Amino acid sequence: MTRSRKIGDLHILTSFLAACLLCFIVPSAGGQELPALDKKTAEEVLPKKPYSPYAGRTYPTRVFWGDTHLHTSQSFDSVMFGNRLGPEEAYRFARGEEVTSSTGQRVQLSRPLDFLVVADHAESLGVMSEVLAGNPELVSDPLVKRWHELMNQGPEGGLEVYKQVVVDYVGKGKPLPGILTSPTTVRSVWLKNTSLAEKYNDPGHFTTLLGYEWSSNTGGNNLHRVVVFRDSADKVNQVVPFSSLDSDNPENLWKVLDAYEAKTGGSVLAIPHNGNLSNGRMFEIVDFAGNPLTRQYAETRANREPVVEVTQIKGDGETHPYLSPTDEFANFERWDRGNLDLSADKKPEMLQYEYARSALKTGLKLEKELGVNPYKFGMIGSTDAHTSLATADSDNFFGKLPAYEPSPDRWKHASEFSSGKAYYGWEFVASGYAGVWATANTREAIWDALKRKEVYATTGPRMIVRFFGGWDFEAKDAQNRDLSQIGYDRGVPMGGDLRQAPAGKSATFLIAALKDPIGANLDRIQVVKGWLDAHNKLQEKVYDVAWSGNRKPAANGKLPPVGNTVDMKTATWTNSIGAPELITVWKEPDFDPSLFAFYYVRVLEIPTPRWTLYDAVKFGVTMDPKVPMVEQQRAYTSPIWYTPTK
Amino acid sequence: MKLLREPLLHFLMLGAAIFAAFAFITRHKTDKPGEIVVTQGTLDNIATGFAHTWQRPPTEGELQGLVCDYIREEAAYREALSMGLDRDDTIVRRRLRQKLEFISDDLASHAEPSDADLDMFLRTHPGLFKTEPLFSFRQIYLNPQLHRTDLQRDESRVLAELRSPGSLGNPSSLGDPFLLAQSFENVSLAEVKQTFGEQFAAGLSALSPGQWHGPVNSGYGAHLVFVSQRSEGHLPALAGVRDQVRREWLNAKRTETTDKFYQALLRHYTVKIEVSEEKKVAQVH
Repeated sequence: MTRSRKIGDLHILTSFLAACLLCFIVPSAGGQELPALDKKTAEEVLPKKPYSPYAGRTYPTRVFWGDTHLHTSQSFDSVMFGNRLGPEEAYRFARGEEVTSSTGQRVQLSRPLDFLVVADHAESLGVMSEVLAGNPELVSDPLVKRWHELMNQGPEGGLEVYKQVVVDYVGKGKPLPGILTSPTTVRSVWLKNTSLAEKYNDPGHFTTLLGYEWSSNTGGNNLHRVVVFRDSADKVNQVVPFSSLDSDNPENLWKVLDAYEAKTGGSVLAIPHNGNLSNGRMFEIVDFAGNPLTRQYAETRANREPVVEVTQIKGDGETHPYLSPTDEFANFERWDRGNLDLSADKKPEMLQYEYARSALKTGLKLEKELGVNPYKFGMIGSTDAHTSLATADSDNFFGKLPAYEPSPDRWKHASEFSSGKAYYGWEFVASGYAGVWATANTREAIWDALKRKEVYATTGPRMIVRFFGGWDFEAKDAQNRDLSQIGYDRGVPMGGDLRQAPAGKSATFLIAALKDPIGANLDRIQVVKGWLDAHNKLQEKVYDVAWSGNRKPAANGKLPPVGNTVDMKTATWTNSIGAPELITVWKEPDFDPSLFAFYYVRVLEIPTPRWTLYDAVKFGVTMDPKVPMVEQQRAYTSPIWYTPTK
Repeated sequence: MKLLREPLLHFLMLGAAIFAAFAFITRHKTDKPGEIVVTQGTLDNIATGFAHTWQRPPTEGELQGLVCDYIREEAAYREALSMGLDRDDTIVRRRLRQKLEFISDDLASHAEPSDADLDMFLRTHPGLFKTEPLFSFRQIYLNPQLHRTDLQRDESRVLAELRSPGSLGNPSSLGDPFLLAQSFENVSLAEVKQTFGEQFAAGLSALSPGQWHGPVNSGYGAHLVFVSQRSEGHLPALAGVRDQVRREWLNAKRTETTDKFYQALLRHYTVKIEVSEEKKVAQVH
């Protein structure tokens, strides 16, 4: 042990020295402000538009796919649950290689991902693998020794340790044995992880962004954030991950991230997830301490948290049937029984502060009151898998934890908590990925796209979605062969803002969706509108704007279902219904220039087998009738906001 | 990897090596059976450990207590070993295995490949490093839903129009609206696969440049395709991909070293797996 520790220390020391040296040679990141041009000078100085329509094209022409939220064996809970794969295997798997999972199964993605964020929990980063191995210094603590023994008994023992750590210690604010939060261990694991990320970062082909997860969970209420850096290890190594054991208040996380930027000249953002398990705490109208929100809070949050992960393994967080009773697609993969550890039940009044759509609405009201919208966020999906395997395809789903990797019984496997309540295997969701409209596959370009919210969420399929808002899109624009050029020339992309409505004009939207090249056809495109009405009441409405076939909306305005081709015996479907592509220009029929509003797009695929049906067929098992077997996968874009002129 | 050549780093590594060697010698000096010797080195070590925790040196009394404890630990340790108490203890077993694997991992991580090693690796693993074939092409999309009964006829009609000598060479008004671009410049086969799917990529690879072909099918529908240029993938020179080759070499070395290590180890053993007859029956069913 002495030997390994000495080498660890040496590694830290040399990296620290390297970081110090680099501080002096890295030029300051702040660019110089250019003087503003007047129109005449601009015309003289700036080049004319070239003849070639492709020359000088600066907008993103390709969507990049990735997972911003993957855990490896360096996460305390992941290793307790039996994950034996580290970041190296995670990167190799994400870039398309075959690996062997912790349960000994060979696995490979249908297609490589373009980028990956290994986001291990900051809390006791890497320490639990030492506990598992029985590091004598750690197991000298009798409680840690007990945990070591439990973890070595297998997944059940691991879950027991997880419950004790998360529920009895972290959840109740009881400090963990000091030996488990040793900064030396955390730092050496962090440096190891960042160096592996550097090793696998391959700009243009496969990007690894540096990050970690801050896992505030007081009272069992999930306030987790994934922290993602724009920078390389030279900057990022100057700090260590901020742990919720140091503070469970997100405002303190933001302060630490501010300090990082001030110290290094770098850039960093945070991505909240699983508001559905926060029991009404994720998108509140008060701050963490219960005080009314201030303008400064709103500015900080909007700046620091430009996107939210709205769909992942532990449930989809777009909206909830209680909040959107007339939306027939709202009841999708809901996790709404309680908070993360099921220690407190869900009450209906909590839901409005948990789901993305209602948070976007709340944001409009807060903007009117504070002048800034704290909940002006874009949307992405990611897996949150704790297996080092970023799987979101239903026919290739490797689950949340090694205990939920493919097996005939995984659907009924239960993760019981001390409150006597459990999550069941079949409830986990094969979701999701982040689609990013970036100008290149690099750390900088992907991070910048997240920051400007030109991103969207999918529940797994890689459909391509374009969404532009403007004042003068016309029906014929949908026929144009270079749709994105028109979109960028005359409008703003997803994540953008519409202001200063020209008199008498309504907002118009150019929208297109193309199916996953190896996936299912599309059922329909919908626009979800949220607004603050003239009586200061929040409203929402879902419009069907493009759909396959010759379906006609019924008298109540509802479009008939697309149908269902899923064969329950073979877990297959056919693309004989639906459309490979849907394109439309939609003119807002109810536009009111005096009201705050947002618009986002939801794209639905035709029904396909849920992962449970693939399991039922591959393993020949019969599941309980309550287990859903067929579903409509979907995409949610970042919104475009309309802000009235004061 | 300029850092590796830093004299400062060499100095630090040398220092660490001496320190580690010293610690090794002082700690693992073997005593005669029935004799416990507390050397000056051990005493220093005990005092340093104390100072590390408490940020001050131990007092005379504290040091005495620590040495007493060390003697007891040493006696208990030897007694426990002679009684075989280490054998059925999972903590001890795992810890010892970890220490052993640590040594083997260490060997792999300190191996630094020469350029000749890397060059050999590059040549023997061309699949890992070969650049992708690049394509420049234009495509006209036909949406099968807009040509339900007459897709084939329309494909032939559009293809004939594209190929006709009088064609204006400006196909942008032909075919159906499509979200993907009509024109692609120097895109890799992997990118084509990501964007259009395997089926289209295979179709595209088979086309001869300089003429309109089709239909090439994809998950979206049918495409008429004109390849203006294609360049084959090639194996790059080592200089251009040194970092990648080194990464893959180290990874292969790591796996190989572990495998070899266990192979060498297991050469000293005959392994028998004894499964009871009942279990065998159960496994078959």
